[in-house]
Amino acid sequence: MHDKLIRIEAEKIEKTFAKTLLFRNINFNLGKGDSFYITGPNGSGKSTLLQILAGIQKPSSGNVIYTSDNSVIESEDYKDFLGFTGPQVNPYDMLTSIENLTFTSTESVDENLMIEYLEKFDLYRHRTKSVKYYSSGMKQRLRLIHALINNPEILMLDEPCSNLDSKGRDILYRILDEVKNNKILIIATNEPEDINLCSKGINLEQ
Amino acid sequence: MNNRILNNIKKDFLIESRNRSAINISFAFAGITTLSVSLAAGGVPFTPVIHAIIFWIILFFSAMSGLAHIFIREEEEKNSLFLSLYYTPEEIYLSKLIFNIILFLSISVIVTVLYLFFLQVLPVYLFLFILTVVAGSIAIASVTTILGAMVSKAGSGSSLFTVISFPILLPVLWTAISLTSVSIDGTGIQEYRNILFLLAFSGVIVSVSYLSFKFIWTEL
Amino acid sequence: MKIYHRFIFYFLIFIVMPAVFLMALIWVPPAEFLGESSRILYFHVPVAWISVVSFIIAGYHSIMILCTEKGRTEREYKSYNAAYSGIVFTILTVITGSIWAKISWGSYWNWDPRETSIVILMLIYISYFSLYSALKDNTNRTMISSVYLLIAMITMPFFVFIIPRVYPSLHPDTIINADRKIHLEAAMKLTLFTSIAVFTIFYGYIFRLMNRISLLEHRLQEKQNDN
Repeated sequence: MHDKLIRIEAEKIEKTFAKTLLFRNINFNLGKGDSFYITGPNGSGKSTLLQILAGIQKPSSGNVIYTSDNSVIESEDYKDFLGFTGPQVNPYDMLTSIENLTFTSTESVDENLMIEYLEKFDLYRHRTKSVKYYSSGMKQRLRLIHALINNPEILMLDEPCSNLDSKGRDILYRILDEVKNNKILIIATNEPEDINLCSKGINLEQ
Repeated sequence: MNNRILNNIKKDFLIESRNRSAINISFAFAGITTLSVSLAAGGVPFTPVIHAIIFWIILFFSAMSGLAHIFIREEEEKNSLFLSLYYTPEEIYLSKLIFNIILFLSISVIVTVLYLFFLQVLPVYLFLFILTVVAGSIAIASVTTILGAMVSKAGSGSSLFTVISFPILLPVLWTAISLTSVSIDGTGIQEYRNILFLLAFSGVIVSVSYLSFKFIWTEL
Repeated sequence: MKIYHRFIFYFLIFIVMPAVFLMALIWVPPAEFLGESSRILYFHVPVAWISVVSFIIAGYHSIMILCTEKGRTEREYKSYNAAYSGIVFTILTVITGSIWAKISWGSYWNWDPRETSIVILMLIYISYFSLYSALKDNTNRTMISSVYLLIAMITMPFFVFIIPRVYPSLHPDTIINADRKIHLEAAMKLTLFTSIAVFTIFYGYIFRLMNRISLLEHRLQEKQNDN
């Protein structure tokens, strides 16, 4: 799947929510190797824009267009190309990390790969505990593993560093540095380090 | 796709088995209601029609207490976004439907056994009776799956669920009651045709629900 | 709407409709053994007819909401308004029906097939509104309510098969059936059909009015959003 040329385009996106205008006239076009940040003050709509790009919400006007080798991808198929995570994405509390990963991963992912990721994020030693007993930092790491493990072409992260300690951030940045040249990376964040990781971006304060 | 649906069902059973309170309460409700009826009746004999009516009312309210749970749990535990990132609405619908059918058939078995035992009823046409319970339970589970999904998005709980389920379940209840009454007292024609009616009803509801589930589940 | 269409419309509502009332209450001779109370026929039948028509309109718009994106914003309030007027007319049907039943048969309610169907229709409307208001904070409210109406609609054919079998003809036939067996005199036929026609047009008028109000409310809100 990585041989295909995936592009994601935002065309004049506008969102109004509860009678307030969040943003309008958002335009950009991204391809493999692009890393893009979305930033702005709290409440400016970063998470909303990211969810619109992921196909989870619909914009009030405008279009999001995914293309693979110049043919349009339908919104039902986005999940085949997309790894998304954010504070509203919650793995099942009653399951362990391995059970959650078994549930969400595609056939190409085997148990060894899951163990590898758990070790990378230092969650291997907690693998038999239910997610209910995880700290918020551990939960965040598990969320990131879920987004990364299927090796998606597009990676969308909403506040990836929230709740992470410095060690967690190091792990995350190391992995993102490795993969960002092969993927489209979009991060919604307020952290300057995240912004520095990206080659271009927008600020929703307007 | 079948594999993924199976995965989803396995996951639901796993979660429910770890935190058994909701399922336990559903079974307890079914058992307690049946016992309450038999105790309240105090040995007074019911006619077959009354037996049929009470039996299906117990099943109806047992369904109301338990069948919206698998959707409400996804909403309350905030897992719905997580789920929809990895599974299409159709896969989610089919797995929840199968889960509900299995759950409600189990509840029906318990209610049937307790009812027949404590109220000392033995249906004359036993085969028809069993078929009615199975077909009726499948029909109830089919309707309550899609309506449970709607109620879970509303967050109002089981009273809303009962209100919206009742009109849709009326044909099922009427048919099942008349079939059950015939099978208990052994008079009247055995209309197996009505079993087909129940199955046809389930089939139509499931098809329409399958096609329209995505409008409920995904927020567009 | 063109000017002369409007004139015909208003003529029908403001002149023919009161004329129909006069016809029903004064001009038409009372039915054979039902007496003066048979006059309620000319109000009960149209009102029952309208409640069914509303349901079909609400169902149609709900299905269209699910099928196409185009015109979704208008259909949102059209299906709601159709259901709203539908429940009002259904309640009127039940009230007029039970008054008539009391006068003619001595009891307000008889559970025969027609009465049962109208009660079921009322239950479906009530459920629809309960669901709609419970979804107050949900952006997906219209879609979910539309799916509910769709499911209610597909249940209807099953009801048609079942109801006659559940409450068999041990109960007396409804007045309406009885009337059709007795030939309606020409005058009664005329009044009845004019009444149905005029009520339908009146309903169309109300429906249009409700939709226009909803459209204006919608536009007002959009203007507020732009500021």
